[in-house]
Order: sequence, then structure tokens, then C-alpha cells
Amino acid sequence: MPKDHQAGEAGTVRRWLRPRTVAPFALVGAVGIIGLIAFSPGSAHASSTATPAPVQATANTATSSQASAYVSSNANPPHLGGQAPSKQLGLYYITLPRSYIAPGAALFAANCSTCHGPQALGGTKAPNLQGLGAGTVDFWVSTGRMPLANSSIQATRKPPRFNRLQTLEVSAWVQSLTPGEGVQIPVVNTSLGNLEQGNTLFTLNCAACHTITGAGDALMDGAYAPTLHLATPTQIVEAIRSGPGNMPRFGPGNITNTNARDIAAYVTKVLQHPTNAGGIGLGGIGPVGEGFVALLIGVGALMLVCFWIGDRA
Amino acid sequence: MIDESLRWVDDRLGIAKGGRTFLDKIFPDHWSFMLGEIALYSFVVLLGTGVFLSLYYVPSAHEIIYHGSYLPLRGQRVSEAYASTVGLSFDVRSGLLMRQAHHWAADIFVGAIAVHMARVFFTGAFRKPREFNWIVGVTMLILAIVNGFLGYSLPDDLVSGTGIRIAYSIIESVPLVGSYLAFFLFGGNYPGSGVIIPRFFIIHVLIVPLILLGLLGAHLGLLVKQKHTQFPGKSKSERNVVGSPMFPTFMAKTTGFLFMTTGVIFLLGGFVQINPIWQFGQYESYKISYAVQPDWYMGWLDGALRIMPSWEWVGWGHTIPLEVFLPAVIFPGIVFNIFYTWPFIESRHTKDLAYHNLLDRPRDRPKRTAAGAAMLGLLGTVFFASSTDVMANFFDLPLMGVLWFFRIAVIVVPIVSYFLAYQICNELRQAEGLGKRKRALAVTLTESGEYRTEESEPRPGDGAGVELEPVPVPAFIDVVPPELATGEGVRRVMR
Repeated sequence: MPKDHQAGEAGTVRRWLRPRTVAPFALVGAVGIIGLIAFSPGSAHASSTATPAPVQATANTATSSQASAYVSSNANPPHLGGQAPSKQLGLYYITLPRSYIAPGAALFAANCSTCHGPQALGGTKAPNLQGLGAGTVDFWVSTGRMPLANSSIQATRKPPRFNRLQTLEVSAWVQSLTPGEGVQIPVVNTSLGNLEQGNTLFTLNCAACHTITGAGDALMDGAYAPTLHLATPTQIVEAIRSGPGNMPRFGPGNITNTNARDIAAYVTKVLQHPTNAGGIGLGGIGPVGEGFVALLIGVGALMLVCFWIGDRA
Repeated sequence: MIDESLRWVDDRLGIAKGGRTFLDKIFPDHWSFMLGEIALYSFVVLLGTGVFLSLYYVPSAHEIIYHGSYLPLRGQRVSEAYASTVGLSFDVRSGLLMRQAHHWAADIFVGAIAVHMARVFFTGAFRKPREFNWIVGVTMLILAIVNGFLGYSLPDDLVSGTGIRIAYSIIESVPLVGSYLAFFLFGGNYPGSGVIIPRFFIIHVLIVPLILLGLLGAHLGLLVKQKHTQFPGKSKSERNVVGSPMFPTFMAKTTGFLFMTTGVIFLLGGFVQINPIWQFGQYESYKISYAVQPDWYMGWLDGALRIMPSWEWVGWGHTIPLEVFLPAVIFPGIVFNIFYTWPFIESRHTKDLAYHNLLDRPRDRPKRTAAGAAMLGLLGTVFFASSTDVMANFFDLPLMGVLWFFRIAVIVVPIVSYFLAYQICNELRQAEGLGKRKRALAVTLTESGEYRTEESEPRPGDGAGVELEPVPVPAFIDVVPPELATGEGVRRVMR
């Protein structure tokens, strides 16, 4: 038996200083200090202002530069409410050059006509595309949903089969069947977007299905609202205007061009880059993820501590 | 010098005797006895962080224009409650850390209560004479859940506002008095006259914590008075308690544990985001988001609501919405009544009216263990049912399929768990010596070429009859006679 038992004060102190007794204090001290240093002094504040700040900085350069090459006019602007689409507004629609139509016809014949028919009139397997406009086609093809992988389930987003130019060529051909009709391909300058307005509009019109964080969710059997974390500003406006799948179609009388621009700005600037000031964001799915962390990591870690400092027999 | 001043205090207050009893309180060393302390220390963290938050939070539904540092909200009309919560997250030094630590502490608090309660249940620690303490504990569980919900609602964000809306409907679903109760609480038809935030606030920060503190005192007071239970074992009996004394061993251990709990909570609070209300926005009754769940401890109620078929009863000019009333009022009512009355149900069933200080191994009480497993199965199923949409989306399953799976599972799982647990208990009991260390077998080759196996010598601490020599307790504790002490730092006192 150790002598400590009879040794009195000195022995008692030595007993307390054993690694087994000191370890919890040391660990907790370290944890506390790290926590306080890392998170207290306005670090939340800094990141909160950091993310929304680029509002004025980055334009959607890719889309705008492409657009300027393809634009011939703002010929067919579907604007019933709000301001007319224009470069100054940050949202306008492009007309695709005639030279795209011929290669587009070839691409369509090779990849789409099996289901949609040679003149895009549809058939038993697929809908009529005439009159839907270049914007609708651009949405489905550029998100990889078309060509379909599986016709029995909701079309899923996947890497697109066509590159940007091919996508525009197919869109141009479909548009050429019904000139002036349907949804045009928008160009969105999100740096002009109003994030406050976008927040309000998104909460009112979109959050009920896509969730307030834009993470998406299951709706009914086989139907779901997809995540918005991958969408581009052009695709967002195309989806608003064309109403793909189960999504309702929002015309310019309901969501004006200004509104559409603000929503696209809010989704791409705020929802796709959320201010996760508090640490790991857990996928933006709310208390489900948090509950798992609290129970498995929080309570779990503390039970392990119990197991460590308690007897096991 | 210290002696003199202490004597001076004691001469006037006479606390030495009680203090001695407290410092000599014996705590059994088994790890499962520390689960309740997780809850205790998370509660301490809750009080501390809660005081901090209450310095900045404004409990008012009054609408103002947000001008804080989170850009997407600027210029929006928000309630003062929401604006102040976003403000304390972004514009107050360490405010977000405190708010997240408070929220994580709440999640861990209820989780620790549940785990602690399961330990007490499965080992039979609630039996006579400890029924009162069980009842106090169940009451604290209910209050913890209620207060968690109230606190979750205070920021007035879109997600929690949906929860308040559901709570209103649940209150309204009570037959006859429902509408009156809801009007009374909300000050009118939903969303009420702006009184719900200040009311929830005062219940959350004053009334419930005060009751919780009182019950906590009773819980621990009864624990000291009745002394701990303990697992049966060598030199442990119904009439003694074997373990470490409060001073010095347990005090060092438990203080370390306080810091560990605080550390884990603040680590989570610092590194893992919880409830980012600035992403959700202000609650308005016409706004809605999908994928809205309550915090985990309310999940079982939300799940019950989700899987309930839409039945209602209409007659004599009244509607009783059974689809809300049954899962959200009757179901938790039954569950908590079972919790409350279990000690009495069990003693009536077993006709066991004796005092019990020694705990059961769960396997030795197969019916109780099976009943507990069935209850856990039921609550676990409805708990998971509250994330039907997230599951359907995450695993790419049809939503109604997931829903129907849970509707069937809620009946099947408890029954299966009951019989499975019962069977496992019985089989464990029949396998004698299971879980004990085996004695090594020594294989020897004799000269005639024969192999022989023999059990080796038992290691110290193994097997019966090998008892360690009793060790005298340290000289400065003279209350306990040396012959009662055993093992290193472990003491045995009579009840």
C-alpha cells in the first residue's frame, strides 16, 4: 500500500497532483482559453460584415461577358410590371444570333428529338417545347436536367452534357421555331441587386419550398424542391419566369424584373455564402443537425468523460 | 488563524456539524453516477450565459427598423426581440459565443437529464425510499423541456415563430376550454396582441428557473439525506455506502467535471453554429419556411403530430381536432403520467415494499428493462419521425413512404424492443460469469505426451475470497473507524 495514506498533508497534496487528477483541469483550461480567444472579440462582427460586403465588388463576370458577345438587342422584353429590363436595371434579356440556329438544330436532332420529336412538338414521352422560349431550354439544359437520366423521377441536377455555347445553340434553335414567344435568356448583374429586398421577397415567395436557407427539401412523393446552393443568377431568373417542374411560374406582374434581380442577388450572394458567424453551419437544415451534434458530440463526449473519471467495475 | 476565524463563524452559525456531514458524504465511484452531474453543470452554464443574454435581449414585439451590421436585414421591419437577438450576436463582444453556448447547454441539459433518468430507471434506483426524488426528477425534466421551448421561441425568428404557431394550435385543440386558454395566453386570436414575447420571457428567465432551482435543491437534499444507491459488490450491502468522500476526492473530481462540461459546451458554442436566426429573418404569421423542426427534446412531440392521421370529431357545433389533441396533448400526458407513476406501478406489480439501497443489474429485472426499452423505442420512433422531410430529402426517399414507415414503426418498434430486451436479459442471466474476466488456461505437455489444461492462479481482484486488506483512512478524518474503510481512497460508511 502507498505510504500516502498515513503521510498526512504532504501525501494528500501529492495525491491530488497525479496526472489523472490534474488532466481534466489542464484540458478544460486549454479548451476555455482557445474558445475565448477564437470567438469573443468581434470575430462574429467581422465576418458578418465581411460576407455581404462584396455586394459592390463582384459582378457576375462570366455571364455578363458572354452576354455582351451574344446580345444583339433587348428586343423582346416580357415586362408587365416594374421597370423595363435594361443594363442599368441589372437584368435584361438577350436575343441569340441567327448563326446559332443551324448548329443548334443538329444538336437537337442528335440529343433531344428522340423524345421531344424532330420539330420539338413533343410526344408520349416528352412535352411540346414550342413557345417555351430559349430561357426555358437554357435552364433545363444548363442545369444538366436535360437530357433526362431517368424519366420516372423528378429531373435531377447533374453536370451538363453541353457546354455553354452548345446550350445556347440548342436554345436558339428552339426559339427560332416560335420567334418572340416564351422566356428569354436573362443576364443578371447581381452587384446591382438589393439584398434587403431580395431577403423579403425570397422569404415570401421561395422559402416555403426551398427552405429559408435555400437548402431544399422533400415536398411530396417523388417531388422535392432542389437546393439553391448551386444555381447561377441566370438559372434563378429562368426558373422564376418559366416555372420548371412543380415550381409555379412567376410572371413579371408578380415578380418584377427588379424583384427577380434582387432574389437572384440574395440567393447567390447570401444563401450561397451564408454568414456562418457561429462556426460550422451544419448544412443549413436547422435543429435536426443540431440535435445530432448535441446528443452525439455534446452528451456523448461528456459521457466519455464520466467513463474516464469514474469507476467502470 | 484560519482555525480561529472558522471557530468564530461556527460559534455564531453552528454550521460545522452540517458541513462535516456534507464533506463526508460518500459518492459511489461508478461512472454512471456522474450522468446527473452533466445536467447539473449544464444548468450552471445555462444560468451564467442566460444572465449575460438577458442584459442585451429586449423582450418586446414592438416593431422597429433594423439598422444593425447584418446587411441583408437592414431596413426591414423587425421586432425588438429579433433585432436585439441579432444585435447581441453581431454587435456585442462575445455575444454570439454566449448565445450559442446557452443554446448548446440547453440541448445538452435535457439530453443529460434523459440519460441520467434512463440510468436511474434501468437500475431500479427509483424504488422505495426514493420515489419522491424520482417524481422531483420527472418534474424537472418537464420544466426543462418547457423552458427549452420558451427560450427557443424568444428570438422571434421565422423558425421559432412557426413553433409558437403550432403551440397555439395545440392549446386550441383542447376540447371546450382550448380557445379560452389560447386567448388567455396569447392575449387574443393568433398572433395575439404582442404580449406573447414578454410573457414567454418572464416565464423563461424567472418563473421556471426559480422552480427548477427549488426542485434542484430538493433533489440534491434528498440525495444527501437518503444517501446514494450503489451497485451490489464486494463489501457493499443494503446498509452501507462505499465510495469516495466529498472532500477531498470527489470534490476534486466533480470540480474537474464542472470545467469539462463548461469546456465541451463552450467548444460547441465556439465552433459549431446553432440557430443562425439572422439567416431565418423575422417571423411574420404569413411567412413560412419548409424543413422547420423544433429543438431535439421537442422532436418526439413534433414527430407524433406528423405521423398522426387527420382525424377530427364534429358534433353539437363543436370540433375536436383529434389529429392535434391526441398526439400533442393526450400522448405526452400519458407518457409523463407513466413516468410519474412508474415506481408505484412497479411496486404494485412486484409486491415489493422493502427498502432498496442496492441497485439492480438491468438484466436481473427483465420485465422492467423490457418496458423501458419499449418506451425508449416508442419515443425514439416518434423522435425520428419529426425529421421525415429531412430524411426523405437526404436519403432520396418518397416522403409519404417515410411517413408510412414511421406510422407502422411506431407500433412495431416498441413491441419488438420489448420482446428483444426481455429475451436478451434472460439469456444474459443464464450465461453465468458473462462479462467477468476469464482465468487464463495454462496448457502443459506431460512426459507421456499428453496435453493438460489447468486454470492459472487468479489475478488480484478476481474471483471470490481474494479481498484486499482494509486500509486505514487518512488521519485527518477521524469520524470513520479504520476498520470500515477499504481500498485506496474508498470509504464505507453505515447508513
